[in-house]
Amino acid sequence: MKRIEENPLLIIAVLLFSFMLLQSCGGVPEESTKEMSSNNVFSVSEVLEMVSKENDVTRTLYTKAIVGKGKAQGMKFDEDWRKDDVEAGPLPALFLRGVATSIKKGPVPLGLYLGSDFPVNAANKFEGKQADLFKKIKKDQEPQFFYDEDQELHTAMFADLASAAACVTCHNKHPQTTKDDWVLGDVMGATTWQYPKDSLSYKETVDVLNSYAKGTVDIYVQYLEEIKAFKESEKPSIGDKWPAEGKYLPTPEVFLDSVRKLSSYETMKKLIAAKD
Amino acid sequence: MFKTSPLRKRQLYGGIIGLAIGVLAIVFFNLKSSEEYISLGPMNAGHDDLSCVTCHADAKGNLAQQLQSNVEFAIGLREKSVDFGTQDVTVKNCLECHDRPNDRHPPHRFSEPRFKKAIKKIDATTCITCHSEHNGERVTVASLNYCMNCHRDLEVEDDPIDVPHIRLIANEQWSTCIQCHDFHGNHAYEVPVKLNDTIPMAVIRDYLNGGRDPYGDSKKHIGLSEPEWIKLKLQD
Repeated sequence: MKRIEENPLLIIAVLLFSFMLLQSCGGVPEESTKEMSSNNVFSVSEVLEMVSKENDVTRTLYTKAIVGKGKAQGMKFDEDWRKDDVEAGPLPALFLRGVATSIKKGPVPLGLYLGSDFPVNAANKFEGKQADLFKKIKKDQEPQFFYDEDQELHTAMFADLASAAACVTCHNKHPQTTKDDWVLGDVMGATTWQYPKDSLSYKETVDVLNSYAKGTVDIYVQYLEEIKAFKESEKPSIGDKWPAEGKYLPTPEVFLDSVRKLSSYETMKKLIAAKD
Repeated sequence: MFKTSPLRKRQLYGGIIGLAIGVLAIVFFNLKSSEEYISLGPMNAGHDDLSCVTCHADAKGNLAQQLQSNVEFAIGLREKSVDFGTQDVTVKNCLECHDRPNDRHPPHRFSEPRFKKAIKKIDATTCITCHSEHNGERVTVASLNYCMNCHRDLEVEDDPIDVPHIRLIANEQWSTCIQCHDFHGNHAYEVPVKLNDTIPMAVIRDYLNGGRDPYGDSKKHIGLSEPEWIKLKLQD
């Protein structure tokens, strides 16, 4: 009998059999980029504008209806709200930080950050390209879009305005403020949003919007949890009512429902137009 | 049918022994008690009780599928390669147990463009920059002057310490930061106001190497144990 290495036909047959055996398993399923991009109906800038508008509405609602009215009812809001010895809720900037943290924990690759040229926290000062673009935003309040090549992320910056008296007074009086003459309507900073793809499918767009909405609920729930642990301060009643009516806070569902009522019209118009 | 030539007995016994060794090896290396022999090195402080699978999840597909996919990728028939054997360990794996709302330096914050320069010097977007696993330590970063990458312009209003922060920074005394402040802010720790009362560097180094915690036992957050993590996974 011939040795195996002396029989080229046998070697070919063994190799062919191994190849077929391997091939018959099929590879790990792969989503084709080309196929996926053909389903994309929104550019990344459109989606980031949509989610930024949702953010504007949410933050304004939180700032005015929760923080502003809540303070008038004697509720406290503090930058150190998470500390054990502080019985307070998150200030609007920290509310946004909480939303950003929740988004990062989820599966949607969306990034959200807040910065300024005169931040209370030095770590939030814009640098480099962001600082240059922020100068433009301050002039015309128009959003700025760029592709960050180092991070390979599509990036958008949107003006963050002093929309409530609470923003102005709090920042002007803060012991670590770097600017104490803010007035209502000033561009106090900018939100920066990042996403890895240049276009998104309908589903991915809804996922982005949902991840933002989930973020607002998460941080709001954390605030309500914090209230449960209050030892000395009076706890507001949590239900259907808002601080404008007394020492009340809305449940997360009521809060989110109000955000949706205020923001959904513009967003829905775009989503429906894309669906058609 | 199973008759073997007396001249082939050596090969037969060799084959049987080889098969037995193979089966035993597979059984042995799949036992939890054998994981220390597979591990690249001793587990870091606090991770001694963890199984491999807590960080090294199985990759998608079976080995043949992974092999096929990567061969296809190598010859240009596929757009992306796939993990082979186990999935890459990422910051998400770490956060499954260590995520907490009050982290002073959460890794995701450093993804922002303004930290671009800083993360070129120290990549704070990922845990393994400072906590490289399988080293039997707590913190593996080489130098403790990392605060200088972001806090050079720090000014503290009504600075309470005897040697003001501004002077410590001017003198480039960056290692003094950690003598008062733990990086993640996870300790309910009364920060001293005199530099002489701060935690000595030798004690800090011992802690970073896996020793006693000098910031005290009162921690704000305790990472999940493996049973707690499994329970959480099963709920998902």
